[in-house]
Amino acid sequence: MANVQDRAVGLIECAASPKALDRLIAPGHGARMLRVAPDEAIAVVAPAFTADVRRELNDRITALDEDALVLDVSDGWTGLALIGADADRALSYLSALDPPDGDAFIQGDVARVAAKILREPDGFLLLVPAYWGEHVRTRAVEDAGAQTVRS
Amino acid sequence: MPSLRLDGRRLEVSDGDTIAAAAFRAGVRTFTRSLKAHRRRGLYCGTGDCANCLVTVDGLPGERACVTPATDGMRVERETGWPSADRDALAINDRLHRFMPVGFYYKVFARPRWLWPIAERVIRRATGTGTLPVNAPARRTPTRFVRVRTLVIGGGVAGLAAAATASTDGSVLVADEAALGARTTDAAAREAITRLGAEARAAGADILAGHAAIGVYEGPSAALVGPDELVEVEAERVIVATGSLEAHGVFPGNDLPGVWLGRGAARMAAIHGVPIGKHAVVVANTDEGAQLADAVRTAGTDVTLVAGRVLEARGGHQVTSVTVLTPEGRRAFACDALVLSLGWAPRDTLLRMTVEPEVVGAGDVVRPGCTLDEAESSGRAAARGNADEPREADPWPITEHDGYVCVCEDVSMHDLEHAWDEGWTSSEILKRYTTATMGPCQGALCSRHLAEHARAKGAAPAARGRTTARPPVRGPRLGDLTGGVHEQAERRTALHDRHVSAGARMDHSGVWLRPGTYGDVADEIRAVRERVSVMDVSTLAKFLLAGRDAQTLLDRVFPLDVGAIAPGRARYLLALDEAGYVMDDGLLAALHSSYFLTSTSGGADRMEAWLRNWIDRLDLHVHLVNQTSQLGAINVAGPHARDLLATLSVDDLSRDALPYPGYAEITVAGVPCRAIAVGFVGELSFELHHPRGRSVELWDALLNAGSTWDIRPHGLDALDVLRLEKGHVYLAQDTMPDDHPAKLGLGWAVATHKAEFVGKRALERMDALPLERRLVGLRFDGPPQRGHPLAVDGAIVGRITSCAVSVAAGGPVGLGWLRAVDGEFPNVLRAGDVTATVSATPFYDPEGVRLRG
Repeated sequence: MANVQDRAVGLIECAASPKALDRLIAPGHGARMLRVAPDEAIAVVAPAFTADVRRELNDRITALDEDALVLDVSDGWTGLALIGADADRALSYLSALDPPDGDAFIQGDVARVAAKILREPDGFLLLVPAYWGEHVRTRAVEDAGAQTVRS
Repeated sequence: MPSLRLDGRRLEVSDGDTIAAAAFRAGVRTFTRSLKAHRRRGLYCGTGDCANCLVTVDGLPGERACVTPATDGMRVERETGWPSADRDALAINDRLHRFMPVGFYYKVFARPRWLWPIAERVIRRATGTGTLPVNAPARRTPTRFVRVRTLVIGGGVAGLAAAATASTDGSVLVADEAALGARTTDAAAREAITRLGAEARAAGADILAGHAAIGVYEGPSAALVGPDELVEVEAERVIVATGSLEAHGVFPGNDLPGVWLGRGAARMAAIHGVPIGKHAVVVANTDEGAQLADAVRTAGTDVTLVAGRVLEARGGHQVTSVTVLTPEGRRAFACDALVLSLGWAPRDTLLRMTVEPEVVGAGDVVRPGCTLDEAESSGRAAARGNADEPREADPWPITEHDGYVCVCEDVSMHDLEHAWDEGWTSSEILKRYTTATMGPCQGALCSRHLAEHARAKGAAPAARGRTTARPPVRGPRLGDLTGGVHEQAERRTALHDRHVSAGARMDHSGVWLRPGTYGDVADEIRAVRERVSVMDVSTLAKFLLAGRDAQTLLDRVFPLDVGAIAPGRARYLLALDEAGYVMDDGLLAALHSSYFLTSTSGGADRMEAWLRNWIDRLDLHVHLVNQTSQLGAINVAGPHARDLLATLSVDDLSRDALPYPGYAEITVAGVPCRAIAVGFVGELSFELHHPRGRSVELWDALLNAGSTWDIRPHGLDALDVLRLEKGHVYLAQDTMPDDHPAKLGLGWAVATHKAEFVGKRALERMDALPLERRLVGLRFDGPPQRGHPLAVDGAIVGRITSCAVSVAAGGPVGLGWLRAVDGEFPNVLRAGDVTATVSATPFYDPEGVRLRG
């Protein structure tokens, strides 16, 4: 079986020059840095550390690019955890993308909308724009649900 | 004893029965009536390849009785025949067949023209297979995506051998429409399937039983339909090992119930234990003749085995005799079953759907009639990259002077001859004219006959090929075809549940789901004009732009004078493309070290791509963040809007601190907001852009505090009237793709003095030309209709794009397009029975006093 659960996550967006992002040292607090574009990176962090990571990122990136934008964009995303023994199979009902390996992430269509997929120890973390959160949640339960998923 | 009901009659079901087996055991011989002539049709292929046994199962039409397992309580209905399949009044058509040659309805009902709609209705009622359950709840099949190195279609000997070998070279998926080996009566084949299945599994192959491939596409990729899912497979290569079936013999009486293809008859007898008759004649020209005869005998049928050409089968309700031209001469046999094994017809439709070299065949499908050993070696060779080239069966095809070529569509040899004589002289146009190969079996039985007919008639090589193979090979359900593709992924704001619980009618507005109205549009309008109201405008596209070149970017791409916007102020913004046409509009607010841009709800993705493109093209140092999903937005509008905010904020909200059009960072009910003083509805209004996660909190606080002024939320219906009263346009509704600002009366939004902006040169050229069309305000003397043409002296010169009956504007008003007539724009027009008079806009508060509050 697989479970789909809402997962609160902190997300800090860094918009800066590619050179600055290339040189950026990742923050602590267990943050995972996703380089989603040459001039854009997103830190994924436990909600409790969002403010700390934002501050840390802001200090580091503005030293490299004074115009850089560092924003807490947690509100703009819905985090859904797809976890359990059948998580891979459940994901295959939502996306044609190959699951990411290790610390890698992928971005593309999940349930026909733009999303990011991160590998978790027990499955996947799906990050989707908040306005599509309900859509992906429903698809996860209804499509994959008939096969594998509990909500 | 488990049972099913066939047309209301209870039939016992034995373990392992298909619907066809249970029905045949109970004496059912006529399963369907043919499409046009309403001839009796019985079980024929027994392998799911033909359409003779399509039935409705538990309300779902088009199920193949010969391969659908029978279950207890199942409700089965035969789909054709009136009043029943056994006694069909429309069987009279068979006697009238000669008066209804192929294509007759194209000609007979062509004149007078009114006749065809009636004839079409009658013909449709009299033909067809099954009835769609229109009142059944929509069913949506989940789609699963799989990527593998090798996809093997077919779990027979060749397919499993291919899978076992290919598994040493990456992932393998085997798809078979049944359980492995379930449909073979040959013990040696079953043993080989068991052995190879184990070998394939041990090698790591994934075997997907009960999944029929319905199409192979470029890529290559394939679609598999299972009982509860659609599987989209992307593979590096596809090995088609779908085997072959016995050739369809064409001779007089070939469609009578009791005429069987060999393997189907063998299955009925050997697997289900149901005798196919008392005395069967097996006509076999293949190596399987003796084996088939033995299989048929297992259920107690007396069998005569002969080789030769079938000249004719006779019978009424079912076959009663057959005449065969044997090596010893012409012989007639009395029988109640005729079993044919005349040759092989490779199931090669999937193989012919693509010309990609990564799609190859193995086994019977490319070497029809091959032995088990040959099938296994063919499969292994295909897996190693040495696939056999397709080979046609020999002898093929089997045709006499008459008989049904296409049993799905009731097309006979006589029909083909007739069509040929009319000038339809190639296999492709014969198909289109006669509809042969276009029935549910998709030419599985007859496509070779069509090509052979063209060849025998002397058609040129290009005109005698087999007709194009297209998906689906097997008839999918409609839910399978939707398969997750055709759905609207609606966007919801954070306030969605609040709107629903407030009784809002939720409308699709582009990609968003938004409140149309909360029930009383007039009161929603009054709340905005007289009191205070809120609207969820979280759908607006929102962007933050920063960086040392941010102003340069905005100045270069937008036609407004960005440098003139002081921090804390906002301006209306038009986005033009290189041709000077309006592609979007919005607001630009100058923050202290960055800019905040909002544009129309549906255009966020396009605007972001457009801005990023210009950043790259101009090589500018600008950072852009799309905040559309991150920020919610609520518009607080009405004469008491400032009063309401003052009750929830300690910030300075005076006219000096937050003028129109102005911008300020404020806190409302504890929620940090970017407040922009706007004027779309023509009243004092503030858009509060805030973190989406706090939308509900802010909305509730505004509604609670607003009760002092009898606050109401308003929806899209009210907004449509409010903005129209101000003469504001809805892009796309009031505009056309080639509108430049002057046509829309928005020339004031273009800073023509600027040296450069996107679309400037095009605008300069267009400004030198006379305006041939423009959007105008209209007042009506009666209720107008949106989209209604506007006419002068009977000549249409425009149309109404928006209209409403407005209390504030003192009557019906609208916007509409007008074309110049002899260089002049008319002022008085007719819109049906209504007179329209061109009027200046805004209709309401033309001086803009109210929105400055």
